[in-house]
Order: sequence, then C-alpha cells, then structure tokens
Amino acid sequence: MLNFLDVYERALKGPIMSENDFDIKIFIPTLNKVVREYGIKYDKENPVPSDDKIADNLFKASVDFMSQVGVYCQDTNRVIQFTQKEILEAVGEAPGKCFVGEGKEAGVFGMRKPDDHQVPWLHVGSGIVATSEEMAANKIESYASISEANSMSVAALDNIRGIPIMAGSPAELYAAIRSIKIAREAIQRAGRPGLPIMNLIATAASAVTTIAASAPQFGLRPTDGWLCGTVAEMKIEFGTLNKVAYLLNWGANIGAETAPILGGYCGGPAGTAVVSTAYMLVGLLVHKGNYQLHFPVHFKHGCSTTRDVLWVVSISCQAASRNISMPLIWLGYMAGGPNTKMYFYESAAWLLCATVSGAPSVQTPHPAKAVLIDGFTPMECKFGVEMAKSAARFDRQKANGMVIRLLEKYESKIETAHQGSRYQDCYDIVTGKPGEAYVRLYNEVKEELVGMGIAFE
Amino acid sequence: MEKKKILENLAAAIVEGDRNKAKEVAKEALSNRIDPLEAIEQGLSKGMTTVGERFEKGEAYLPELLMAADTFNAGMEILKPEMEVQKKQVAKAGTVLIGTVKGDVHSIGKNIVATVLEIHGFEVRDLGVDNPSLNIIQEAEKVKADVIALSSLMTTTMPAQKEVIETLKEMHLRDKYFVIVGGGPVNQEWADKIGADGYGKSAVQAVEIVKKLLAKKR
Repeated sequence: MLNFLDVYERALKGPIMSENDFDIKIFIPTLNKVVREYGIKYDKENPVPSDDKIADNLFKASVDFMSQVGVYCQDTNRVIQFTQKEILEAVGEAPGKCFVGEGKEAGVFGMRKPDDHQVPWLHVGSGIVATSEEMAANKIESYASISEANSMSVAALDNIRGIPIMAGSPAELYAAIRSIKIAREAIQRAGRPGLPIMNLIATAASAVTTIAASAPQFGLRPTDGWLCGTVAEMKIEFGTLNKVAYLLNWGANIGAETAPILGGYCGGPAGTAVVSTAYMLVGLLVHKGNYQLHFPVHFKHGCSTTRDVLWVVSISCQAASRNISMPLIWLGYMAGGPNTKMYFYESAAWLLCATVSGAPSVQTPHPAKAVLIDGFTPMECKFGVEMAKSAARFDRQKANGMVIRLLEKYESKIETAHQGSRYQDCYDIVTGKPGEAYVRLYNEVKEELVGMGIAFE
Repeated sequence: MEKKKILENLAAAIVEGDRNKAKEVAKEALSNRIDPLEAIEQGLSKGMTTVGERFEKGEAYLPELLMAADTFNAGMEILKPEMEVQKKQVAKAGTVLIGTVKGDVHSIGKNIVATVLEIHGFEVRDLGVDNPSLNIIQEAEKVKADVIALSSLMTTTMPAQKEVIETLKEMHLRDKYFVIVGGGPVNQEWADKIGADGYGKSAVQAVEIVKKLLAKKR
C-alpha cells in the first residue's frame, strides 16, 4: 500500500487546478456521470433498503468515482490521484479493527455486517457540542459511568476562565490542555481510567494546538483516538496532513473524520451516497486511518434524520460494512434538543437505521444539530446505548418499517424542532443527576417506543 | 426566431446548466437585434430566478446553483461586449463581501449564500475561508462593499465574528457597512449580542436581510 509520504508527494505533483475548477469541472460532472452509469437511485419509500446488490453496486461506483476525482489539496492546489488498483489494494489491506483503551477498558473495535445481531461498539458523548468549563467534569463522569460504553468523546470547552476560545489562539491551547485534564480526572472518578477518548482534541480547531496538547505529559495516550478531518467535499489541507504525520510517527490511533453534505456539492441523495462511501476510501488512502468518524448531514436542516439522509446513511453504511474493513463510528445530528420527545424519536430512527445497516459503532446522536452550548446531557447517552442494543435485534426489513413509523412522528416537524434544554436547565449541576421532569419525559418516550414494538432490556 | 422564444431559450439554458446553449442563444439574440440588457434581464436572469426558486423549494441543490451561475457567466461573455458598445449597464442590487472568519475552513454554507446572493443580482466578492478580521475590513474598503457577510461553522470561531465588528468600531468604520452573520451555531441571540445588523438562518433568509438592509440605506 502507498505510504503517507507517497500520498504527500502526490499532493505536490498531482494535476494543478483552482478549487473552483475542481468543484465545477471535476467533482460535480464526474459524480453526475457515476450516478447515471451505475444507476444509483434514491428509494424514498424505503429509508432502510435491504438489497445487498444495491449496496455492492454503490461500493463499485464509489471506487470508480474516487479513481476519477481524487482528493484536492487546498495548500498545493493539486489533486491527489489514485488508480482503481491502488484503491482496491488499500481496501484489501484495510485494518478491520482498532485497538483502543487501557487496562480493563482496553478493547478491540471491529467490524459488523448488515443484519448483524452483535451489538455495535458503543461510543458515547459529544465533541462538537461545546461545554462550559464548570459543567464539563460532571457530564464526562456520567458518560463514562454508563457501563456498556466502550469509548467516549469529550466536549470542546467553550471558554477558559471566562475567555472565549478562538481557533488557533493561545486560549485554545490552554483550553485544549485543560479539557484533557478535566476528562481524565472525570473518567477516573467514574472508576474507568482506561476508557479511550476517541475524538481528540475537540477543543483544538487548529492542528498546531492538537499536536502541542497531545504531548503525553498532558494525559493522552496512543491508545486514545485523534480525529483528522476532511474539508467537504473531497478536500484536504496541510493542517490535517500534519496531524496525520505526527500521529503516524507516534503510532497513535488515527480517526479519519468525514461528513458529506446532502444538498451541497454532492447534490441529492444518490450523489451523496456515492461520496459518503468514497470517504471510507479517503480514510484508508489519505489519512491512513485506524478508524473513522462519519456523519452525513442535510445542508439545509443541519441534521441527519431527514428521510433522504437516513437513506444515505443506510445504503452507504451497507456498502462500506460489506466491502470495506474500516471500523467506522457513525454519528447523527438530531434536529430536536435534549429534553424533547422529538429528539428521542429521531434518535431511535437514526440508531435503527445505522445499526441494522452494519455500523461497526454508533455514537450518541447529537441533539439540537450540535449547536447549543451545553446542549447535551448524559440522558441522551443512556438512551443511545439502550436503543443501539435494542436495534441490534432488528434486521433491515423490520427496521425499515419501524423507521417509517418514527418518521411519521417527526418528519414534518424538523424545520421547527425545538432546541430543548441545556444541561444546567434539566440536570442538578451539583449532583450530576437528571431533573424529575426529564426522567418523566424519558420514561414516557420509552413506553411509547415499547408500544410500537421496540423492546428494551 | 421570435424574440419571446429566444428569451425563453436563454432562461432554459440557465436552468439546464448548458454553457454552450447559453452562448449560442446569446449570439442568436444579438443577431436578432435584441437589446443585450433585455436578453440578460428577461432571459438569463429569469433562468437564474427559476433555479433560485427550485433551490428554495428543495428541488435543486448546490450543483444546480453553481452550474446556473457558470452558465450565466458564459452567456454574459457574449452579451457584455455589446453592452459596452451600447454603454449599458446591468443594475446591481449592491455589493456583498462574504467570507469565513479566522480559524474556520468550512466553506459550503458560505458558498451557497454567495451563489444565492448572485442569483438575486448582488455583486458578490467571496474572500474564501479563514480570513483575519483586518483582511476582511481592508477588502471591504477596497471593493466598496455595502454589506459584510461573516460565516462561522464552529462555536470556537464565532468570537471572530465579534472581532470583525469590534475592529470596525476601532477603525471608525462601523457605520459604513452592514454586517450580517450566519453559520451552524450562529443565531439571532448571538447576532444581537455582538451588534451585527442581521442574521440569516438560511441562504434565502440572508438574501432577504441584505435586501431589507440596503432598502433602509437608500
């Protein structure tokens, strides 16, 4: 397989073009052509399709697309290109598993197939939903206390000593280090000191901060996981490549972070499904990822629970889990916020969709489109774990029917979904326990879901 | 071919995103002595409006917007020289300088807003991503912008929107520009807090706000 420096050389020697030309002359027309040639079609009636042939055809389309389009390097204005042979070689040598955590929390995060009844790797918490410094420890302790959780994400700090965090600033570095220390202490307080943190470093938007704050004296270990992002769509910049270079030299876990946007350059659901699958190839070839965090979202609604995005999640998850041995954490953004029924309907639909489609791992679905500071609570993590375990008992066909019923409950309300409550508004911030009203709402929703045929342990 | 049909074909070329067709029909319009300004306003621009409406309804996506804008420019390549000969100008709705603030490299939302603004007749200067505050202000001065539109996708880059406004104040330029903000985590509350003139939840809302602000100016 091509090593990282081989890829870097291609970023220096590939065809040169403006970013706009890459978008307009390469990406969009090639995607349209591939969608047409492979007959990729959105199936509105079946958000969770169950035909393996469609999934395998999508995989082939994504390989073809990747070989024709490549990845655009924004710093050199060149396209990193790969042949079909190189792509398929990388697929053949895909890691298949990722070793994370330490001590009794050490684990192997591996693959699943569609209709697999094995419970996915359960990843809890959120990185992008920023937290205020004073709320962070209690929340992290609660996430880590969920015994079924295999790994976690810790939130970006919103401020450090009241100073807002600006990307790439000294405050960002202070906050990044502080966030790691808070997380380690809180995880230890939960009695699970070896639990891996796999979204490093959420507080650091810039590569220089990530690399600096990753020095081992601040508490991180190579058995944690670092997210190295792409720029939508199919673009990369030196900041990410620098992080990858650093982590490869250290031998730490690299998580390729990818988020195709339905309605953006990908166009509609068919094109987004091709790009969504191609991103697993980018994760293997460019990031040299041990794992991947992937979250398709809708450009207008900012969430992953519209009918078309659910279809993209399901079909590209099936294509990947059947053909690409990359341990993937699938993540969804919900329109509804914490302490709303809407959130739980969406979360149930999204978790069913991803789990039965073969997601190796599912992360706690993010409330309120992940934009409300402190808008994430341990209750959503608890539900995510319970629902994922329940979803693993379904197959694609049954899940499809259930997802359609759940869509009937929330689909028309996506546009006006309520942001819900912040942690401090629905939890006791001293004890870290949920308020009575939220517990009541949670129990009501679960009873409703049980009535619909979703069995919880 | 009759004038009405030619204008319809110009609009259709935009909707289809067909550059060659736009050029051919534009040539046909000139050879049929159609006023180039009319060809733009009643042909190309009408097509842009149709694509914009389809986008608003969720029937078209960013690729269709971009292809329409590209096709519009192809048609303009033919019509513009004749406009210059006839000393005519297309009325511009105003100039908007748009960019993603310092530290933020997410561009899709910003690109959608820029394209929808163009479709609605605004002169758009796109600064791209990761722009230091001073750079944004200097460019606004250079292009004589009416509106500065600041995009931010991350909570950690939102403070940079505030920094632009504060720097404008320090430079005694705040009253010279309308400043609007947008992006995933941005909301009206934040816009009010930092003293922005407007907030757009979507590209379409951004256009409405810019129109409203410029109407106030006039």
